[in-house]
Amino acid sequence: METRRRALLTAGLTVLASVIALWACAAFAGASFSTVVSTMIHEALGRRTALLATCGEFAAIAFCGLAVLIPYRAGFFNIGAQGQLEVGGLAAVAVALRLGNNPWLAVPAALLASCLAGMAAAVPPLLLKLKRGANEVTTSIMMNFTCVMLVYAIITGPLKDPAAFYGATRAIPQASRLPTLPPGGPHLGFWLALVLIAVLWVILGRTVFGTRLRAVGSNRRAAVLAGINVSAVTVTAVLMGAAMAGLTGGVQLLGLTFRVAENWTKGWGFTGIPVALLGGGPIGVLIVSAIFAVLETGSRGMQALTGVPAAVVYLLQGIPVLVYLALRSAGLRTKKPGPGESSAASGLGEAG
Amino acid sequence: MTEGVAVGFALSVLRAATPLVFCALGVLLAERAGVLNIGVEGMMLAAALTAVLTAVLTGNAWLGVAAACVVGASCGLALGGLTVLLPADQVVSGVAFNIAAQGLTSFIYKVTVVRGVQLIAPATLISLAGPDSHPGFWGSLSPLAYGAFVLAIAVQVFLFRTGPGLLWRSLGESARASHASGVNVRRARMVALVVSGLLCGLGGASLTLAWVRSFTDSITMGRGFIALAAVYFGRWHPLLAVLSCLLFGAGEALAFRAQALGTGLNPFYYLMLPYVLTIVAVTLMGRAVGPKEAGRPYLGR
Repeated sequence: METRRRALLTAGLTVLASVIALWACAAFAGASFSTVVSTMIHEALGRRTALLATCGEFAAIAFCGLAVLIPYRAGFFNIGAQGQLEVGGLAAVAVALRLGNNPWLAVPAALLASCLAGMAAAVPPLLLKLKRGANEVTTSIMMNFTCVMLVYAIITGPLKDPAAFYGATRAIPQASRLPTLPPGGPHLGFWLALVLIAVLWVILGRTVFGTRLRAVGSNRRAAVLAGINVSAVTVTAVLMGAAMAGLTGGVQLLGLTFRVAENWTKGWGFTGIPVALLGGGPIGVLIVSAIFAVLETGSRGMQALTGVPAAVVYLLQGIPVLVYLALRSAGLRTKKPGPGESSAASGLGEAG
Repeated sequence: MTEGVAVGFALSVLRAATPLVFCALGVLLAERAGVLNIGVEGMMLAAALTAVLTAVLTGNAWLGVAAACVVGASCGLALGGLTVLLPADQVVSGVAFNIAAQGLTSFIYKVTVVRGVQLIAPATLISLAGPDSHPGFWGSLSPLAYGAFVLAIAVQVFLFRTGPGLLWRSLGESARASHASGVNVRRARMVALVVSGLLCGLGGASLTLAWVRSFTDSITMGRGFIALAAVYFGRWHPLLAVLSCLLFGAGEALAFRAQALGTGLNPFYYLMLPYVLTIVAVTLMGRAVGPKEAGRPYLGR
């Protein structure tokens, strides 16, 4: 009961901090708080096109939230989701361009390719962590940049659309685009995100694997003593997460953007980090992703109508996490952690 | 290459390396004291904006540098409050700090642009000899570039040749031993983060005042993380880290000139180089050389 009350208090204070931040920004930019909020909500949910955009945004943010959440459960901080989604997206487009006109073949093959490419991008940090004990944070950050540069090199090189003036691939054929369900509604990726959240809710909460994952993440040494194959669990979790990140790229490109161009992504991979941390589990990811998606699409309209810059969204992603972290660690400290717990609290181990 | 091209290239390498050197020294000092400063990117960004805004509003570039230092140090204080005093997770705090800093700088930048402030900084710091004369190579360097390299030597001497430097390093190797020898671990690490933030502030200032003279959204473009990479690539030694910064600066300068050089290689491969090199370096050396306790919170008294 005590922990539940504490969790509710933390959540409440986190939301309060976000509200105060938004209010301060609105005041600074010279707009009224209530106008800003109502415009934001109207621009995200009020019209049909806006609602569709929010659904698409939700899918991307939710996939990336899962991409961070699953490895985090195993004590691996997947800060590389952005790079994984970039290469995943490119792989999906490359496959869709080649297989083109058969929807039954092209769509599954492209989505599979995006998963595989995302997983491939997670392999170097994963191997270096397991074999050399290198901190995954450093190597994943480096992989992010490597992936982005690689994608840029390819879209300005081998896969460049000859007709484009800047780096961009050709648009994928109509047949390989994601169907909308119901027709004219959100694309398949949105429903896929909901299904995957449900599946992961079962896997993480109701299976042996989920329990092992939790054991590995919370106390590696105890997990080894309990006879769990720690490396295998970590590898599975990280690859699952990386596949989700790759899928983000695939779904966005097949469902909405249709071609890889310079700066086609937003920082969904980084947005996934606050989503996973604040969400804490698949259902939490669902809720936080929905809120973030509304903020994201709503803020664009808000900028046009009230003059408050859309950059507020990043503040509303960063500040809650900082507040949440502060409250949670303050809570840990009053609990007086033992030596075993201290490493779980840091969770992420040593420097590279 | 003709001599003029070579001089131009050397200048652009040094120009690109200067912000990296400041930030790398900041990160290095923090990690040597046992705290990861993943927030380097955000600190640099916040300082870069502060520097330009102050320089434009006061007309004095040096005041811009001072303001950037103050903002950088305050960022260090804030991040330290989270990661040292509470202590919250150092990596997650850093990442969240970066997101928040990106939002805040972008927000302030857009609001100022809307209000019609022309964000073009005075050229005072671009070169030592001043903008109007025709200086030689040494005169074309920014005073901040000189500052960065002198500082690197100073940090090297401080860490490896002085008593306080030894204490500083021992914080990163074993906080408990430092505590036993009478050091107030939390306070010392707070000092380390404030110094680190101040240096990141100088990095941001040298990016906008000694090079670009303006500010745009996300102007740092991951340079904070490149500085992080330079520290790892330079095995936590200030002078080696400076060499890595020069190497990474050269990669950037090469990418700008790739087409002029006519190598036919896509410029993005040059930009990729620093990151790949860092991964290779980590592969080759593993964890052995880093400060042992960097990243671990100190939970004792």
